[in-house]
Amino acid sequence: MILSVKNLNKKYQHQDGLVDALKEMSFDIPKGNFVTITGASGSGKTTLLLALAGLISISSGEISFKGFRIDKANDQQLSKYRMDNIGFVMQNFALIPYLTAIENVMLPLATHKLKNSQRISKASELLELVGLGNRKNHLPRELSSGQQQRVAIARALVNEPSIILADEPTGNLDPSLSVDILNLLKSINADKGITILMVTHNPSAADYGNFKIRLDNGSLN
Amino acid sequence: MNIRKLVWQEFKHRKSQLISGLLAITLGIAVIVGIRTISVVSEKAVAINLDNLGANILVLPQATTVDNYYTADIDAPTIPEEYVDRIVSSAIPGVDNLSPKLTRRIIINNQKVVLTGILPKNEISSKPLWQKSGLLGKDNTASCAPDNVNNTDLGYKDEKLQRKVIDSLGANECFVGSTIAKSLQLNENSKTDILGSSFIVRRILNETGTADDDRIFVHLYKAQELLKIDKQVSAIEIMGCCSAISDGLLSKLRNVLPDTRITTIGQIVSTQIQTNNMMNKVSLIFLVIIIFVGGISIGNFMWANVNERRREIGMLKMIGFRKGIIYQLFLIKASILGVIGGITGFILGTVAAMWLGPKLAGLSVNPLPEMLLYSLIISVLISLLGALIPTYIASRIEPFSNMQEA
Repeated sequence: MILSVKNLNKKYQHQDGLVDALKEMSFDIPKGNFVTITGASGSGKTTLLLALAGLISISSGEISFKGFRIDKANDQQLSKYRMDNIGFVMQNFALIPYLTAIENVMLPLATHKLKNSQRISKASELLELVGLGNRKNHLPRELSSGQQQRVAIARALVNEPSIILADEPTGNLDPSLSVDILNLLKSINADKGITILMVTHNPSAADYGNFKIRLDNGSLN
Repeated sequence: MNIRKLVWQEFKHRKSQLISGLLAITLGIAVIVGIRTISVVSEKAVAINLDNLGANILVLPQATTVDNYYTADIDAPTIPEEYVDRIVSSAIPGVDNLSPKLTRRIIINNQKVVLTGILPKNEISSKPLWQKSGLLGKDNTASCAPDNVNNTDLGYKDEKLQRKVIDSLGANECFVGSTIAKSLQLNENSKTDILGSSFIVRRILNETGTADDDRIFVHLYKAQELLKIDKQVSAIEIMGCCSAISDGLLSKLRNVLPDTRITTIGQIVSTQIQTNNMMNKVSLIFLVIIIFVGGISIGNFMWANVNERRREIGMLKMIGFRKGIIYQLFLIKASILGVIGGITGFILGTVAAMWLGPKLAGLSVNPLPEMLLYSLIISVLISLLGALIPTYIASRIEPFSNMQEA
């Protein structure tokens, strides 16, 4: 198993009292799966993704990545865990506006001890893979939304992650571009064996997954 | 792409912010550099002017007053000439020049004249130890001012100073003050009789408006012989560095010569010290203002920058950038701002000082290269201090801000 979740609970403090965002959740995700996480708004999809990425602390339970206890790790360990193992694809692309496509892709390598030529070569290769080999030096504003999401996917791949966490990756795209992006993610999953966890509220996007998690009011459905 | 490149690209992206952020620190450093440059040159000029006025410390016999010395009281006590050697061999720092003198009021052609015996340069040449100490005859310099200012630029135009660097004075030669030359109707190369010895007037001194105008100067040893006061002097005039005087030069001299009266020509010394202190205080006040204004300005700029980049910082933390890297990002940026501000401030301040110095203070101002180092240190420190709180806040931005907004 690449990810194991046992009795996961997450409570938020709200002005009306404690809110159960995730309740007694347990599941295992085998390596290489394309996992879709669906559910209504407020069902806890994004909260689950944040917890799996070690971006929020949980109230109780266990989350393990290949035996590494995410729920017990400190800030530094979590940063290293994300830097070494996780790629992120966001709905808003999360690209830095003043960096070119290739510079955005190279960003996760900024703290790695690599020669600049190695960084450039790796990023170029990935931009070719996502079909943007001829747009390396374009700024995000010079690219379409679909192209920006492809740059974000290339960036997610550059540190050779075990998992890609995608939060509504097609949320800002029109249907045809959404299909392109989903196909790209599917091919990455198939060709590179990278486990993908994709949060989506789009039923047709959820069909891409071979491992489906449906949440209902913070619980597995 | 590395951290420095990321900082640089962000600078390029926000040029107008960079310029406004730099403005306060640049102007602040420019003000400090401008004031300091002018004040250093001004201190030097004051020091030279005061040197031109003459000695600022008098070593007198215990029973003598300053008035006795200047009126050349016939009965005024004397001190051994050997006291000069004592001062020289004690190597007290801050003693710029020594001038032993023997003065007595005499009568020439029924007129009262002050005869003054001095040591000219050729006598000093035979005493290397005295030469080293800057005894009479050494080229005059003012040690009170910083060393790096070129003295020759400021010039020694005062004729009064020239009497201190007399090259030679023969046993039967004399210099005559302007007033006494007129009353005795003496000209250069004319002859006069002093206490039974014939002297050639080597030079008529320019009018100075001081007691020197009523004096006739002869060689010290000739004066001792004529006045029958062997190996004695009336006083030793010392040109002491004013900062050394305030550091206790007088008490050091008193330790060497306990049986003498050692006094400063107070007004001269206090004027110089007050002037120097005032300039230093002005620089210090501006430094404090600049630390506050510059620091707040940089802090404000960085604060705005952090707020504008919340999503970007959140994304960096999300993909695994540690807090330390976020600190690096902002502190490198602050350091670059400091370096650019320091250099531009130095250039601006120096140009302003060179332009305003002659207009406002009548001083020819040269750049002080070492101020560049101080500018850089102050500017970078202010920038780093100003950036500390915004950087701390940036490091605490939640890494999932991108997801929440999704």
